[in-house]
Amino acid sequence: MSQGRFIAKRVLQGVGVVWGVVSIVFLLRFITPGSAINAVAPLDADRETRQAIARELGLNQPLHVQYGDYLVSLLQGDMGFSYVRGQEVTTLVFSKLPATVELAVAATVVAIGLSIPLGVVSATRRNQPVDWLATLFSLAGISTPNFWLGIMLILVLAVQLGIFQTSGRAVAAVEVAAAVVGPASFVKTLRLWLAHITLPAVALGTYFTALVTRLTRSGMLDELGKPYVRAARAKGLPEAVVRYKHALRNTLIPVITVLGLQLGTLIGGAVITEAVFSWPGLGTLVIRSINLRDWPVLQGSLIVIGTSFVLVNILVDVVYSSLDPRVVND
Amino acid sequence: MVSDRVRRNLASEFRSSVLAKLGVVLVLLVVFVAIFAPFVAPHNPTTQDLDNAERPPLGIVQTEERTTSEMVDGEVQTVTETVTIRPDAAHPLGTDGLGRDMLSRVIYGARTSLIVGVLGTVLAATVGVPIGLIAGYYRGRIDDGLMRFADVSLAFPSLVLAIALIGLWGRASVAVPDPFVAAGFAQEMPATFVLPGTVIVVVGVVNWVWFARIARGEALSLRDQEYVKAARALGADDGRIIAGHVLPNAITPIIVLGTVQVAAIILLESSLSFLGFSGTTLSWGFDISQGRDYVSSGQWWIAGMPGLAIMVAVIGINLIGDWLRDALDPGIQGEGGA
Repeated sequence: MSQGRFIAKRVLQGVGVVWGVVSIVFLLRFITPGSAINAVAPLDADRETRQAIARELGLNQPLHVQYGDYLVSLLQGDMGFSYVRGQEVTTLVFSKLPATVELAVAATVVAIGLSIPLGVVSATRRNQPVDWLATLFSLAGISTPNFWLGIMLILVLAVQLGIFQTSGRAVAAVEVAAAVVGPASFVKTLRLWLAHITLPAVALGTYFTALVTRLTRSGMLDELGKPYVRAARAKGLPEAVVRYKHALRNTLIPVITVLGLQLGTLIGGAVITEAVFSWPGLGTLVIRSINLRDWPVLQGSLIVIGTSFVLVNILVDVVYSSLDPRVVND
Repeated sequence: MVSDRVRRNLASEFRSSVLAKLGVVLVLLVVFVAIFAPFVAPHNPTTQDLDNAERPPLGIVQTEERTTSEMVDGEVQTVTETVTIRPDAAHPLGTDGLGRDMLSRVIYGARTSLIVGVLGTVLAATVGVPIGLIAGYYRGRIDDGLMRFADVSLAFPSLVLAIALIGLWGRASVAVPDPFVAAGFAQEMPATFVLPGTVIVVVGVVNWVWFARIARGEALSLRDQEYVKAARALGADDGRIIAGHVLPNAITPIIVLGTVQVAAIILLESSLSFLGFSGTTLSWGFDISQGRDYVSSGQWWIAGMPGLAIMVAVIGINLIGDWLRDALDPGIQGEGGA
């Protein structure tokens, strides 16, 4: 199979999964005790009002008709209207998405930047103090609830030392980039951005830092014991080349897959991190929509989250297939 | 089901690993205090004592600025005084904003975490393992259907799916009588224990796919083994083959997964209670959410102590998970086992 066909196949599978995501989200509304009418109708609404609302929301139609309508409007980018705000769900969800993406990307950058060097050092200095420290850190990191870590970071670095802000998002990353050429002071904008994003990114990224450190360490140990490494050393390659060009490269391939699969955990973590830091993203929107019983917003958010997961994993597979051409033939 | 070789591996790995021993000690500690909470806890975790509120843990002296206003000769005068709050040996981990004993709350919180972690895992395995075994054994359409469904459910982050389901279903909980108190012991302790029913069901629903996937993978490789073929040739029916030959040989990776899942579900439960989606107010996550309001005024222990408790429990379970994985490594043991 060529790489092009492999990618085409993955995209097609992805479309299937997104269709499944949409169908489950559609059905969620029907396993709810108390129909959607209750969420909209006033408490003392009489029968006629309720029927009128049902007609307006299309709830009097048979299930398959409602499902068909739902799919058709989704394809047109229409996810309905918020019960509570009267705003279009699509607009609402996509206005919150950038903040969450920014947080998730920042956390991933923190995680990858710290974990891979740490994992490599830990594996190459096995059973030395630095390895013990890294092992301890990664064990604690995968065992710490990120929301608690966030609160403790706020306590020490924001409340006591005043280095960072306790909550909110003052500027978007895009605005920082714009300040490079724009009239706004770049340094000032950058500092403002860092003051807000650092703590949530660290709180969210710690679990992944720990996880990838563990994976990199055990992967490196595995690879360094393999015959090709011995062969590379035997023919006199510098140790740095053996470690980083040969062993590390092979270690990173499975790490990328795990990162893709863990994206769900990352988004789930972002939801709760947003709650801790009052970060105005999709997570805050999801929690508010549940508390307000604003089902269309919840459905829209779930669809966007599920679809992003599928998209990122297709991307991961594409990267993977160029790093390791063998997967194409599986 | 557990062969001598597996037992030997477990024992030798345990002897050589400090971390495995630490894990067992931590988990035994958490299990012990959870079961015997009414005897171990120094106070009733729900009793409020406003005169003793916000007391710091042993060894910490807290100073606080308190501002009071009073009328003097018809004018409002504000007086700011520095108050020193000392720890009290009766409350080793301090007290929360309502004067409830943090140590007792941490001890009772262990119950919630462990019960949800274990029951949620058992539920997920009970649903996931049979489905996975059947899919892997029969292959074909059942298998395709399962794998597609697994792909779809993986696209929803477990925390998001869990809060969505709890948001839709509501949060039901059951008050279970505490057996020790019912038997006449520790009468000052809460007579009932709140079991967050919806949370248990939801974490099971959210996690069964992991068990299905791993059971399917094992069944796929085991179905073509000689002894399975032999059993089939002897006329054993499929149900018997799956239960008697496939399951026992697939059990090792399932146990390893189960261990890790208990830890993951404890973290998930604490996230749910932190966000207010639990059904109980005696849980580590709930206490962290209460303590969050005190962070800016310096009472760090109210959120700090339950978080440390979560870390102790989850580190312990993860260490046991590492020990089991190293000793039972399915990659090396392959088809071995019974």
